[in-house]
Amino acid sequence: MNFISKAAKKSPWIYRINAGSCNGCDVELATTACIPRYDIERLGCQYCGSPRHADIILITGPITVGVKDKLLRVYEQVPDPKVTVAVGICPISGGVFRESYAIAGPLDQFVPVDVNIAGCPPRPQAIIEGLAMAIDIWASRA
Amino acid sequence: MIGEFFRILFAVLVFPGGLFAIALGLLLKGVERRLVARLQRRIGAPLLQPFYDLVKLMGKITFVPDLADTNVFLMTPLIGVASMSLAMAMLPIAGVYAPSPMLGDLLVLFYVISLPALSLMLAGSASGSPFGAIGFSREMALMLAYEGPILLVIVSVALHVGAASGRGPMFSLAEIVQYQIRHGPLILDWRMVPAALAYAAFIPANLGMPPFDIAEAETELLEGPLLEYTGASLGLLKLASAIKTVAIAGLGVALFFPNGPGGVLGVVAFAAKCLVIVGCLSVLKAAVGRMRIDQAVVFYLRWPVLFGVLSLAMVAIHV
Ligand code: SF4
Repeated sequence: MNFISKAAKKSPWIYRINAGSCNGCDVELATTACIPRYDIERLGCQYCGSPRHADIILITGPITVGVKDKLLRVYEQVPDPKVTVAVGICPISGGVFRESYAIAGPLDQFVPVDVNIAGCPPRPQAIIEGLAMAIDIWASRA
Repeated sequence: MIGEFFRILFAVLVFPGGLFAIALGLLLKGVERRLVARLQRRIGAPLLQPFYDLVKLMGKITFVPDLADTNVFLMTPLIGVASMSLAMAMLPIAGVYAPSPMLGDLLVLFYVISLPALSLMLAGSASGSPFGAIGFSREMALMLAYEGPILLVIVSVALHVGAASGRGPMFSLAEIVQYQIRHGPLILDWRMVPAALAYAAFIPANLGMPPFDIAEAETELLEGPLLEYTGASLGLLKLASAIKTVAIAGLGVALFFPNGPGGVLGVVAFAAKCLVIVGCLSVLKAAVGRMRIDQAVVFYLRWPVLFGVLSLAMVAIHV
């Protein structure tokens, strides 16, 4: 492991994209990051406002037809190396919205997904575990 | 002449500019993050987090947006870092370092210190992003509001020191520090207390800290001018803001409380004073929200100007 990837392992900046989520997963993500109990800043994580600063992309929601192009455009804006995490059952299989005419997903048809975090919505503990896996993958790429 | 040149080069690149300022600045940023987290009852990032962030950013690729002006876009982060290293080389540290007179006086320093804000404004407008443009206009409005009071502070300090040593206005920072070592720090002089308060109000606005982080407002402008930056150039912008923390705190220390032991202990004392200032800023950051731009401008045109004029008037009458 070289010098940069050692540092990168301690500084994964995360960016979340809502691709038609019911907001349940987003609330759990916000909880994971913002309340003292699950404070993920101790892992060096930091939510960034701009996709251009991001290392790990968290995608929630079932990829609706309307949001698909925007999702791919934002995904392109994230500089390499990057890691993609699907949060919730929606981006993995469509979840409760599967087989709907309004859904373009699942996510792995469009972008390479590295980690799936199942649940509807997943618990913060599960999100943290998924993030830890994503951080390992990110460090091996950086 | 050549020796002088190398002395200045050393000051800009190694101590107290360059390496020393980078190390101290990043450490101060780490302390600030940790302290804010502790005040919010979180564990918070490790102390060395800003170093990790910086190294990581150096390893990422750099995008230039389609709408951006490539040269300006890539040059501006360098202007920020270079001007702040220069500013550090112009700051005396009592008993440790006296800047070469060739580097210029307090007024030159005043302009050098406003360069990073200018580079941020250029960055915002060159990035071609609407958020950057809003950040640019806010930064400009804020700068116009806080530059006035800081000039009042500088002039009153210069007048005071000049009058007390029987000469005209004294704009040499080294002389101001010498004066304070002989006669005690200026912050203990009641005529200078309003000026010190005005300077204290100026610090958070210049550093883009709450409640005056209006230009980079993460939650509404997504970091404004920094929005389009990636990889190494973003790292340089973060680096410039870290050195700026040291430079602005260091200027406050030099103007109002430079006294301290010589040698290595003097460096430690300087770092400790910066740490105290950053600690106060962190408490402020954890305690308050963000002002609107109009509120901030009115605030700066009211209180710091009032305090600055008060100090200036008292100094002028005593002459
Ligand atoms: S996985 Fe469940 S909670 Fe999450 S976005 Fe889908 S429906 Fe909502």
